[in-house]
Amino acid sequence: MGAALVDLLARDGVALADQAEAPADAPIATDMLPRRPHHAPKAKAVIHLFMNGGPSQMDLFDPKPFLEKHHGENYFDRIAGEVENPQAAGALMRSSFKFRQHGQCGMWVSDAMPHLARRVDDIALVRSLYTTNLTHEPAVYLIQTGKMGPGRPTLGSWVVYGLGSESNNLPGYVVLDDPLGLPVNGVENWQAGFLPPVFQGTRFRSTGSPVLNLTPDVARPESIIQAERSLRSRLDELHRSKRPHQRILDARIASYELAARMQMAASDALDVASETAETQALYGIGTQPTDSYGRRCLIARRLIERGVRFVQLYINSQIWDNHTGLFTDMKAACDRTDLPIAGLIQDLKQRGLFDETLIVWGGEFGRLPIAQLPPDKDERKAGRDHNKNAACVWFSGAGIQGGVTHGATDELGFNAVDGRVSVPDWHATILHLLGLNYDQLYVMENGLRERLTGVAEARVVSEILK
Amino acid sequence: MHLALLKLAVLPDRTFRTVNPPMFPRSPHSCPDRIARHVLLLVMWTWCGASIADEAVKVPENIAAILQTHCSECHRDKNRKGGLQLDQLPGILAGGESGPVIDLKQLKESHLLQKIESGEMPPEDQPRLSTDDVTAIRNWILDEAFWSEASQASKETNSDHEVYPILLRRCIVCHGRHRQEGKLDLRTHASAMKGGQSGAVVVPGEPEKSLLIQKVRSGAMPPHDRLVEVSIKPIEPREIEVLAEWIKRGAADFVAPMPGPTDGPDTLVTATDREFWSFKNPVRPSIPDVRALDATPTEASNPIDAFLLQKLHERGLEYSPAADKATLIRRATYDLTGLPPDPNDVVAFLEDKSPQAWAKVIDRLLASPQYGEHQARRWLDLAGYADSEGKREQDLPRPHAWRYRDYVIRSLNADKPFDRFLQEQLAGDELVDYENAAEITPEMSDCLVATGFLRMVPDATWANITGYVPDRIEVIADEIDVLGSAVMGLSLKCARCHSHKFDPIPQRDYYRMLAVFRPALDEYDWLKPDVRAGLGPVSVDTMPGRLLPFVPTAERQAWEEHEAAVNQRVADAKARNASAEDIRAIESQRKPEPLIQALWDRGEPTPVYVYRRGDPLNAGEVVSPGAPSVLSSTNGDLDIQPPRPGAKSTGRRLAFARWLTRPDHPLTSRVQMNYMWQQHFGQGIVKTLANFGKTGTPPSHPELLDWLACEFVRNNWSLKSMHRLMMTSRAYQQASALEEDRLAKDPDNQLISRMPMTRLSAEELYDAMLIVSGRLDPTPFGPADPVQARPDGLITPSATANGWRRMIYVQQARKKQVTHQENFDFPQMNPNCVERRDSLVAPQALHLMNNGMVFQLADATADRILSEAGPEPAKQIERLTWLTQGRAPSAEEQQLGIETLRQLKDEWIAGSTTPGTQPPSEADAVRKALSTYCHAVFNSAGFLYVD
Repeated sequence: MGAALVDLLARDGVALADQAEAPADAPIATDMLPRRPHHAPKAKAVIHLFMNGGPSQMDLFDPKPFLEKHHGENYFDRIAGEVENPQAAGALMRSSFKFRQHGQCGMWVSDAMPHLARRVDDIALVRSLYTTNLTHEPAVYLIQTGKMGPGRPTLGSWVVYGLGSESNNLPGYVVLDDPLGLPVNGVENWQAGFLPPVFQGTRFRSTGSPVLNLTPDVARPESIIQAERSLRSRLDELHRSKRPHQRILDARIASYELAARMQMAASDALDVASETAETQALYGIGTQPTDSYGRRCLIARRLIERGVRFVQLYINSQIWDNHTGLFTDMKAACDRTDLPIAGLIQDLKQRGLFDETLIVWGGEFGRLPIAQLPPDKDERKAGRDHNKNAACVWFSGAGIQGGVTHGATDELGFNAVDGRVSVPDWHATILHLLGLNYDQLYVMENGLRERLTGVAEARVVSEILK
Repeated sequence: MHLALLKLAVLPDRTFRTVNPPMFPRSPHSCPDRIARHVLLLVMWTWCGASIADEAVKVPENIAAILQTHCSECHRDKNRKGGLQLDQLPGILAGGESGPVIDLKQLKESHLLQKIESGEMPPEDQPRLSTDDVTAIRNWILDEAFWSEASQASKETNSDHEVYPILLRRCIVCHGRHRQEGKLDLRTHASAMKGGQSGAVVVPGEPEKSLLIQKVRSGAMPPHDRLVEVSIKPIEPREIEVLAEWIKRGAADFVAPMPGPTDGPDTLVTATDREFWSFKNPVRPSIPDVRALDATPTEASNPIDAFLLQKLHERGLEYSPAADKATLIRRATYDLTGLPPDPNDVVAFLEDKSPQAWAKVIDRLLASPQYGEHQARRWLDLAGYADSEGKREQDLPRPHAWRYRDYVIRSLNADKPFDRFLQEQLAGDELVDYENAAEITPEMSDCLVATGFLRMVPDATWANITGYVPDRIEVIADEIDVLGSAVMGLSLKCARCHSHKFDPIPQRDYYRMLAVFRPALDEYDWLKPDVRAGLGPVSVDTMPGRLLPFVPTAERQAWEEHEAAVNQRVADAKARNASAEDIRAIESQRKPEPLIQALWDRGEPTPVYVYRRGDPLNAGEVVSPGAPSVLSSTNGDLDIQPPRPGAKSTGRRLAFARWLTRPDHPLTSRVQMNYMWQQHFGQGIVKTLANFGKTGTPPSHPELLDWLACEFVRNNWSLKSMHRLMMTSRAYQQASALEEDRLAKDPDNQLISRMPMTRLSAEELYDAMLIVSGRLDPTPFGPADPVQARPDGLITPSATANGWRRMIYVQQARKKQVTHQENFDFPQMNPNCVERRDSLVAPQALHLMNNGMVFQLADATADRILSEAGPEPAKQIERLTWLTQGRAPSAEEQQLGIETLRQLKDEWIAGSTTPGTQPPSEADAVRKALSTYCHAVFNSAGFLYVD
């Protein structure tokens, strides 16, 4: 849990100083003051639409005529080591969705996402992301933190560590989770790891009190709250007056002031009702099944407007994890998110925020070209198992060339073969758009230089950039 | 090494020795899971295979000269950085620790060429190669004719060495120690040749007639649809060819023997490497004569002061004035017990005018049971203690971990000598003969509980899909990381994939360490955290898990008697036809079997191969168990003996533990004293607490550190005596006030010209609120208190019948961290925490202002004060200040308190006159006012900070 830190002892910009000579005990940035990026940024803020579960590439963005032709043929034995549930493995399976080319660019999108299909000229699609583990937890850790296990700072934490925040009274890194439940790995998805806790994502709930402990658990008259506040500040003043030069005490007093401001600002940012009916409709607010995700998309825009640097949106559990019932369940996942996301893009454009905001869509891996069968082996209820070798993700907004389709998978959609994009590449590309160089964004941890991308070499996916 | 390439020697007088590793110098980093993205598909050049050539092929003279000038300083016979030798052709062909440097199939992809062309080699601080030199090297490496001739001259003769790793990773799980499906056991050459139910599986010389090859070629083995069940991946075509080739050659023994000791200096660690300060044994320095240094003599009866004052005087500084006694006892009480001082103890100290008054306070605190409860937390941070496995959604509980927590508390309270403490944790199972004992004593049981130290890291290998060999290796790597950071002060993890870039830790030495732990942590013979029903898909794993039943015999008997009694009651109930409900009620009285989460030597370890680039699919040479060469000798210096005649146990860890606790060990005592120093003085003498290597910070007071290290050992590794020594120094008794002169001359207090002002840690704050409010349940030990989660995500410890216990007894579930802990910087254990970071964030303020439990404790504090101090506001304020800050209130505070209590009381009466509600009674308003006051104090800096 981290809101703007006010450790006035911290030195600004250290993370970005000349990297070569940093001593082992170099102080690190521990505040949320805005910091200079490494190069001119394209994006001021990021909205990360995290699609937990592993959306099926060959049912959404990567049509595979080969699967039509070879539907029903056995393929399992050739990929046996890449299947999580071998006993449920079926034959090659064609998509039940219909693909069509859309927009000026002619990007292929299936009929599961009719609203995004109208916005394809605004997005750059990557069909060739691959990862290194086919189990949710490790794969989610990897895409969020660069390592297949707990304990490291998440992408959002690195971003606010590198850049600070433009907001004085909201956290720099806000997480909008689904009231229906946490994603896989829970709160570890926004932890700061070995970075100072201030860089952790702060969970804003879209219903009730937005932040833990934001409102008192015990209701008291306002006059009492005021009287206690003034008592505490007088006690603190007495304490501080006897301890000159202890700047941490000034900072502590400031942190109470910030807490009070946050109480106001957080509630204001979440006040979706103050938006016009037209805007709300754009996001699908007030109608099902889009209301919940639509609210989060709209709140994301309101947060970005208020200077928040990194906003991450989640959906409960793993709605994209369609092991069975792909046709109905994946469609349901699309129905919940497709319209709100298209609405978000449109709204950002009409408000002039599109060119300074990076939107990132994607999950932790893709899915297999073969079927996964339910226990009763009913093929009509088949789904697809996890696939670490290929996944589709897309980018939109600041610095992104709309309409581009980058990379390709093999004829089955099993393996990314052209323009392969690793998870570190994906990280490096996002950092690059924010003006950060993945290799220079590091923190000294016990004498070692730790980065988001670890020791991996990474490549910015320049093909999708303007 | 069985190479016979002598005739290939190019540069005169050099004989070819062995293979190994190229370096990839970059900036410092850690890389536990380096999987190179652009993995070169390099030709396998196995260490055991090349034939004698008839004619010597030579490196062209101009190239030899370049290599000689620019490379051979670090890559020659006697100094093989990265295990690579570039001063003669066999060495170049053999490659280094990460594999070949010349890619014979794709010369332009050769590592050597890439390193040179990218400018990565020679390293930055060495003279650069000229463009002409680079061009010459390039032409040479791309000279196909040359390499074809060179490789002809040294072509492989066999690759038996590769056979065993393949069997280990693809077959042994079902055809090995625990299961012999089809009656086949592939662990030894003899058993493999014997075959199984269907007869021989290997026909020497006839691969295609061998059942083994038929089965793997057809895909029947390993069986595709059961791969996940046994957590293995399919065998790769390349591996099948290796097996076939091996059979074709005659199917000789494939188990490579462990290398024996070698003579002569280590080619991977130089004499200069051994000269670095932290790798040399600490030598007790003489104590500086501070009087002689200074015109105005200073008392320095405690040697610590002599060392510190010497440096301070050099900068023209003296210590800060002594802190007042109330400040001192509050500081010391928090430091040693994690609790605020009892007002009575403060008064007794204030009144004690004897010269021993301070020492008496320290001794009393060291003797209190709360000492262990607080100091254990420090060690549990280092060990990475947690009550759940983490990594997966299920966050599988570790219901027996608490015994280790209790062991640490009891050991520290008993002031168990640290060397023994460490030996028990690293090798307790080898210290006692628990298997043959007629009675398990508490001491024996403790030795097993202690080994839980190496069972603390996050671990998802209980599930098949996250229990593959690489997942297991990750767990082992985390354990080694804990050992390296908590005990050895070394970033050992760097050497997992390549030799350490900054410290003289060759990759070989990392794997030597793994070999020490192999008999207990074997990725090919793995014990899962738990194998209960209902945990994911069926597992063929029938191994016994990590729990041992050897609790003290008395405890075991009590449990057995209890169970027998329950059984009897159930039988009786059934006999009288009791209802199912009644029987369930009796059944519910059962207690879980008392078990120990332990680590133990199971004998028969598999061989340990160096994994090139950390990749288990790329096994290099076999290593023997040993300590890092830079800290010992070339051979790793362990005296390994079975702990007792006839023992199954190998004695490897015991030998290592004894080596690590040698009195003159370069790191063990220094690292611990540095941790303790940091605890008392706010920063380490070496600031990078877990890195005493070259990328760590040099010690600010090297002589002091060495003196403390020697004194620690001289005091029989007594932690308490060292606490006493540090806390009775004048340095510790300084005030924490900041003055401009000191800030200018000693800005970060490296010289200890004052004491740091510190914020209470998460558990100190929590425990303090409990004890102040009188709601602390002091019951020690036993299973952890559960936590409860509110729908909005707030997580709070559950109360006991008598309040709440200290935070150390609260469950540490990795995925359900108590919100208070999260807000106040209690670490996530991934895998451990060497140093807490104090943050100052708004959620802390929000927590103390708004959290329900804080309100509840403020109410309890108000009740306590009303009963102890009576109705008079002045007395109430006085009592509250004593309880929360260990001192009397100032006149100003007194005044403020009296006025505010009156105002609050009035506001409570006035504020509650909303329609339909009764204003509170006078007595109720008084109580509410006092509670509000207590709540403000819980939020005040005076309560949260220690001077």
